[in-house]
Amino acid sequence: MMTEVTLTIPRPMVQARAVNKTIRNGSHRVEILKSIDLSIPAGQFVAIMGASGSGKSTLLGLLAGLDTPSSGSIILDGEEISHLEEDALAQLRGRKIGFVFQSYQLIPTLTAEENVLLPMELSGNGDDPGRARELLDHVGLSERRHHYPVQLSGGEQQRVALARAFMVRPPILMADEPTGNLDTANGRHVLDLLLGLNRHEKTTLLLVTHDRELAANADRRVSLRDGEVVGDELQARDE
Amino acid sequence: MNKPLPWRTAAKIASRELRASPGKFLFVILAVAAGVGALSGVRGFSMAARSMLLRDARKLMAADVMMRLREAPSAGAQQALLDELSAKGIARTTITETISMSATAASPVPLMVTIKAVDPQVYPYYGAVTLAPPQTLAGALGADTVAASDDLMQRLKTGVGQTLRLGGKDFRIVAALVSEQDRLSGNPMTGARILMSRDALERTGLIGPGSRAQNRLLFRLPAAAGVEDVKNRLQKAFPGAQVIDYRETNPNLTRGLDSATVFLSLVSLIALIVGSLGVAMAMHSHLQQKMDTIAIMKSIGARSGQIMRIYLLQTVWLGLAGGVLGIALGAGVQRAFPVLIRRFFDQTPDITWSWTFVAQGLTAGLASTVLFTLPALLRVRHVRPVLVLRREMEETTSASGFGKRAKSMAATGVPLILGFGLIAVWIGNSWRIGGYFTGGLLVSLLALSAVAWLLLRGLRWFLRVSPWKLPSTLRHGIANLYRPGNQAQPVLVSLGVGVMFTLTVFLVQRSIVGDIVAKAPPGTPNVFFLDVRGEQVRDLIALVQKQAGVDGRMELAPSIAARLIAVNGTAVEKHPNEDVRRRFARPVPATWSDAKPAGAEVLRGAWWAAGSAGEEVAVAERLARQLAVEPGGFLDFTAGGRSIHARVASVFRTGPSAGARYELAFTPKALESIPAIWSGGVRVKAANVAALQRAAYERYPTVTVINMADMLEIVQGVVDQIALVIRFLSGFAILAGVVILASSVAGTRFRRIREVVILKTLGATRARVAGIFSVEFLILGTVAGVMGGLLGSAFASLLMKRLLDMYVRFDWIAVAVTVAASALIANGAGWLASFRILGQKPLEVLRGE
Repeated sequence: MMTEVTLTIPRPMVQARAVNKTIRNGSHRVEILKSIDLSIPAGQFVAIMGASGSGKSTLLGLLAGLDTPSSGSIILDGEEISHLEEDALAQLRGRKIGFVFQSYQLIPTLTAEENVLLPMELSGNGDDPGRARELLDHVGLSERRHHYPVQLSGGEQQRVALARAFMVRPPILMADEPTGNLDTANGRHVLDLLLGLNRHEKTTLLLVTHDRELAANADRRVSLRDGEVVGDELQARDE
Repeated sequence: MNKPLPWRTAAKIASRELRASPGKFLFVILAVAAGVGALSGVRGFSMAARSMLLRDARKLMAADVMMRLREAPSAGAQQALLDELSAKGIARTTITETISMSATAASPVPLMVTIKAVDPQVYPYYGAVTLAPPQTLAGALGADTVAASDDLMQRLKTGVGQTLRLGGKDFRIVAALVSEQDRLSGNPMTGARILMSRDALERTGLIGPGSRAQNRLLFRLPAAAGVEDVKNRLQKAFPGAQVIDYRETNPNLTRGLDSATVFLSLVSLIALIVGSLGVAMAMHSHLQQKMDTIAIMKSIGARSGQIMRIYLLQTVWLGLAGGVLGIALGAGVQRAFPVLIRRFFDQTPDITWSWTFVAQGLTAGLASTVLFTLPALLRVRHVRPVLVLRREMEETTSASGFGKRAKSMAATGVPLILGFGLIAVWIGNSWRIGGYFTGGLLVSLLALSAVAWLLLRGLRWFLRVSPWKLPSTLRHGIANLYRPGNQAQPVLVSLGVGVMFTLTVFLVQRSIVGDIVAKAPPGTPNVFFLDVRGEQVRDLIALVQKQAGVDGRMELAPSIAARLIAVNGTAVEKHPNEDVRRRFARPVPATWSDAKPAGAEVLRGAWWAAGSAGEEVAVAERLARQLAVEPGGFLDFTAGGRSIHARVASVFRTGPSAGARYELAFTPKALESIPAIWSGGVRVKAANVAALQRAAYERYPTVTVINMADMLEIVQGVVDQIALVIRFLSGFAILAGVVILASSVAGTRFRRIREVVILKTLGATRARVAGIFSVEFLILGTVAGVMGGLLGSAFASLLMKRLLDMYVRFDWIAVAVTVAASALIANGAGWLASFRILGQKPLEVLRGE
């Protein structure tokens, strides 16, 4: 059930201007993204959709500064990031972006709590075990905070990743198929937690998914096909 | 917000990773341990062996430093220096040697004897004087007693307990002088000898103004370290004196020791390089597997510096752990060496625990671990966080431009080479050795990188254009080499460097040992015959050859005294070289020979045809250089009362045989009718020398027979030991090299798990996977072998030429064996490393992705 709505657009939190991404595969050049223009206001929940190979993960990577565009520019919270050095990008991510990946990406040698604390330690702001515990409690893992990733189920690992993503209170959260590796029940649980935390922390959320049901929860849906934006529509949240 | 990652957090992550897979890190620790163990073990043992060899060498001079003086030290600066040295704890004693006539009641015709007067309380500082019956020097030599050599007693028809007369005084013979180990450094070529105390010499009254006495001052230093300094100061204060130290008593020995020293430094350095290579490979492969973790950390805000801190900590811990294990290993090696070679050595080196070597081993091990891990550590900067989203993207986009790559290579290469250079200078204790090593390493790294680059591209091109349908195993094996993410290039470089240095050790040790053996061949004479007249030559040789214990042929060569008058028409007094003017103010010994004497080597020109009627002369290389003459030049001599105008026929290198020892050899025609005295030697078993001496004396009482067997035995013994030490150490270094080579291939094991799994998932049998790997390993091993073989030959030849003044011929066989061994080792190690992963269940790995 989608309804056209008009929103007062606050300042943009994430912007892509004429972004192209080309990679060389041997002697071939493959255009992964073509002239992407996108502006995401603060607090918006955007679902990026598309079939496999449409370029959605690449776009997310570029918006997060995980990779650099071949041309065009990315602006995060008013700061042009396309030409930033690797370390500056890392610092920026540490401050502004929380991540949730499809395959959890926890550090296998750290416990759940240590994984959650890591972004704060990396940002040089010491640690805040209280907040880490609060987040783990929020995702229902306070009892398992001393467990290593290998001792946790997929759903639990993803919940730890969620807690980690919110640890430094980032203004932006990026999630790449966060429920892709989970069964329906676990997926639903993780999604609820993600959306709950997002509401609670008032973050801008970019979610890559090919799951229409999941995307229905978003304020806006951006569709990609063959590296191009083929749809960009605001929608009322289906909650 | 630029605060670094707290060390605590870095340490936590680093230690957890170490604990997570101890087996993997055990290899890094072992590689460091092998390098440090070889370094400290080889150094510790070689220093002990060297000091043992030098202790033997000191026996030949009975002192650390010796100064030969004609006049007594002047009261001024000379005496002041001697006093200063004494004050520093440097012991000094004087030996006086002179020639006199002696007679006994039974043989009233006086015989010329060499007298050696010593202070029996302190002489000799090193080695021993053997008397028969056995007794101490201090007990035997008083103011009216002497020890006399066997031949003297034979000639003077006297014996122990009887008296002889010297300088008008009677002396009782208390013992036969069996051997003096320092005789080579005295006046060796005179036969009958008397050893007495300085008090006794005083009594003879032979020492006075104008006497022919020669003094030798012997010095014993509290620590051998200051030898060079003491020697230089003495040389400066006593310009007319000859000052030598214990390393120079015998040219063979000196050369042997010099070669050994260079070689030992070389082996230590090579041990370090091969160990470091193992570490570099292991850390490279470790970080390769940590790409995901690094990417995750980067994606959640970690900067490269923060991540490098984690892996730097790990490296330092591993380096330290390996270092400590290496020191323990080294201690074992030090102790194992003497046990291994006990059969050959008549004494064991004193192995002492040297904290200096421990510190040096640890520091060098740690520093080289960090240095060689630097390239891998700096690669952390290039890990793109996008890896968390797409691995393939990372692999395909990581190929950066040539300029960028060159910049990155320089960023890692320059500190690595500079750092290694400093370690090399430190370990090798020489800027020169350090410099050559660093240069060698740099050139080999560049050459190997270039070849690896070319090879991988060449293979790719070959597969694309090849008109033949290659078997799929071969095709896959070749394709494996250039597939993205393959470590072929670093493996090839480290394998090549390892092969190069291992071959260098082999070639250098073979040349050094060959040189040592050639300079002191087993048949070197140890009994010498002087004052043989021409008509006695044939019969004397026949007599000697008949004796028991004679080893090989006796050689005698004629000797005449010739005086050099002019060089290429210029009078010798006007020669520009002062040494020449001084040396040729007196007649010098020369020989004649129809054919080239055995062992002599013609360097330029040619030896004359047998029966040459011309007046020609062959000049030894060193003398030719001094005189500045070449074949075709002319030398004028006077000899036997007539002039000789001789054309220089050839320049030759002297050899150990009787005829090849002279620096001037004429055609027989040139010296015709000039009376000659013959001299020469033969090798006799030590136990048979006395009998031979007696037999020769009975038939030819005028011929002097000198027994040098005991002294030459020491020289030969030391030289043999040097050769042995070198052989053993090189064996060890080569073994360490092989282990490290194997491990650098084995280091790629972890990366292979994924590809094995995928191949198996797609239906490849284990045999097929193993076949594909074999093609890959054999290509890597063969190319590394060819490159390492060529580079090693070039490097060995450079080291030999520059550091040891020796030449190495290119050895095809050694290179071919190296190539084959390298290919087999690479394949064997690859198999060994892949054996376990071939059995890996695909799902375990795929699920882990």
